[in-house]
Amino acid sequence: MLLFTLKRFALAALILVVAVTIMFLMIRAVPGDPVSIMLGPRATPELKARLIAEMALDQSIPKQLMLYFGGLLRGDLGVDVFSGREVTTIVFEQLPHTLKLIFSAITWSAILGIALGCYAAAHPNTWIDRAAATISVSFIAAPAFVVALLSLLVFAVHLQWFPAIGVGEGFWGTAWHLVLPSLAIGLSWVGYIARLVRASMLEVMGESHIRTARAFGLSERRIIGAYALRIAILPVVTVIGVGMGFLLSSAVFTEIVFARPGLGKLVIDSITTRNYPIVMGAVLVSTGLFVISTALADLINALLDPRARTNT
Amino acid sequence: MTDAVAHTPKSKSELAIIITGVARDPLGLIGLVIVGAIVFSAVFAAWIVPYDPIAMNIPDRMQGPSGAHWLGTDQLGRDTFSRVIMGGQVALKVALPAIFGAMAIGLTLGMIAGYGPKWLDNFLMLLFDTIRSFPTVMFALAVVALIGPSLQTVVFVVMATSIPTYGRVARTQTLTLRNSEFILAERAMGASITRILGVHMLPNIIGVLAVLAAMDIPTVIALEAGLSFLGLGVKPPTPSWGALLKDGYALIRQTPWLVVGGGLPIVIATLGFTFLGESLRDVVDPKLRKNR
Repeated sequence: MLLFTLKRFALAALILVVAVTIMFLMIRAVPGDPVSIMLGPRATPELKARLIAEMALDQSIPKQLMLYFGGLLRGDLGVDVFSGREVTTIVFEQLPHTLKLIFSAITWSAILGIALGCYAAAHPNTWIDRAAATISVSFIAAPAFVVALLSLLVFAVHLQWFPAIGVGEGFWGTAWHLVLPSLAIGLSWVGYIARLVRASMLEVMGESHIRTARAFGLSERRIIGAYALRIAILPVVTVIGVGMGFLLSSAVFTEIVFARPGLGKLVIDSITTRNYPIVMGAVLVSTGLFVISTALADLINALLDPRARTNT
Repeated sequence: MTDAVAHTPKSKSELAIIITGVARDPLGLIGLVIVGAIVFSAVFAAWIVPYDPIAMNIPDRMQGPSGAHWLGTDQLGRDTFSRVIMGGQVALKVALPAIFGAMAIGLTLGMIAGYGPKWLDNFLMLLFDTIRSFPTVMFALAVVALIGPSLQTVVFVVMATSIPTYGRVARTQTLTLRNSEFILAERAMGASITRILGVHMLPNIIGVLAVLAAMDIPTVIALEAGLSFLGLGVKPPTPSWGALLKDGYALIRQTPWLVVGGGLPIVIATLGFTFLGESLRDVVDPKLRKNR
């Protein structure tokens, strides 16, 4: 297990190194000099010179890459072109908003999806099961930002049940403001998780320890809730870990639609003002988050199911 | 393996078998009809649209749905229905080349990884894993920030982010086929690598990738619409579903029909392609029917 953990994290680190290198080379591969692109029409000679010195653009490319990695290891993502503030600080100020949104979305959709999946597995091939399957496929298909826009139109603008913009204050205010955005992000996950739980539940129900539990005369409810679910829930853990990238992507759109602060809003605003270091910083932080969550999902899986350890 | 060979579409008659199989499944039929309607309206868009989708008509601006303008008009007086129909054409113009490109490159790299030396396999896998480790939209935003928004940028981003998926599937298929008897027999008879890969392996891999591609189209349409919604996709005045949503969002209280006009086609198109893809998968290769 220790070896597996080490190997998995080594792979994650390697992926991050390659990812950073790709990003770095992409910036340098763009035609024209990066300083003018970053500063846009606002480029003054002084600003240009400062940026060239700061980013070590007068050095060779491998040297620049080394310096960049050195900075990363110290948690230094560069500085904001305009305000001169640390990019790390700016990004980590916005990150909690995005995480809150993602976690609230995945929590409600996982609970509902698992319940639906269990119910469908307990009553296979009934009309409820079929209806749940059809709805599942339809929900999987719904892109988060379209759901966000349509729910904004119906529930916030037309019916005015929920607030349309901002994050709110206090616990209830925050929760109130989270309803529509997390609905938009979570909706496609409900169906996905329900299908996953249903499939793995049906598989588990055929195993011998469930038969034993049945022979002991335990109620069906208890068998599903206490014995089968424990194993059937494993794929959900993996899928959420691997789906982190997808969640982050949906969060970007949802933040824009509901005018919420967060990584997505930060990146979009920085693109429009051509504030380059912030864009790169936010992309790298979210990539790091994604890589770590994938690795963690693998680890949890290996911890719960020893068979998974030999695969990597 | 013989199964896969038998189910691979090679001739017209087999294609007909697949289509009949899809049409027999109710969801598949719905998917087929929706996709057919979208393709039809995209191909014949120029004849269907009642108005020029980019012609401004300021006196008629911000009109609600009526007999003259079925889905109303936007802030510049452009007819929403015409823009929705043209938007379908734009969506397919982005999705199809991007997916075919990604499929072709992914297939080639995947087969090389599966058949080539171990170090090359490891290198390509690391590269695939890395590209997959960027959250798609974040990667897209980074690329847009670098090379600027345009239709080509969207196509490039979609290709870059979906190559790994096709590559991985092609690699797995190649690895399983690699030691099958008919390939070993070919090798014993001295067939060249290109012949083995191109003539014998390709037909067995392409079916699976085609299903994957059908299921990928909604994701691509949504990404294009999403980027255009953010103002980072196709440039105005090109009518895209995402651009409609952008205009509708900006004036959500005045012209809510724009949000509906841009949003519903995306939902319907996504549903259509997903139903079709799922049904296609069950018909082409029942073995693929796993968790998702």
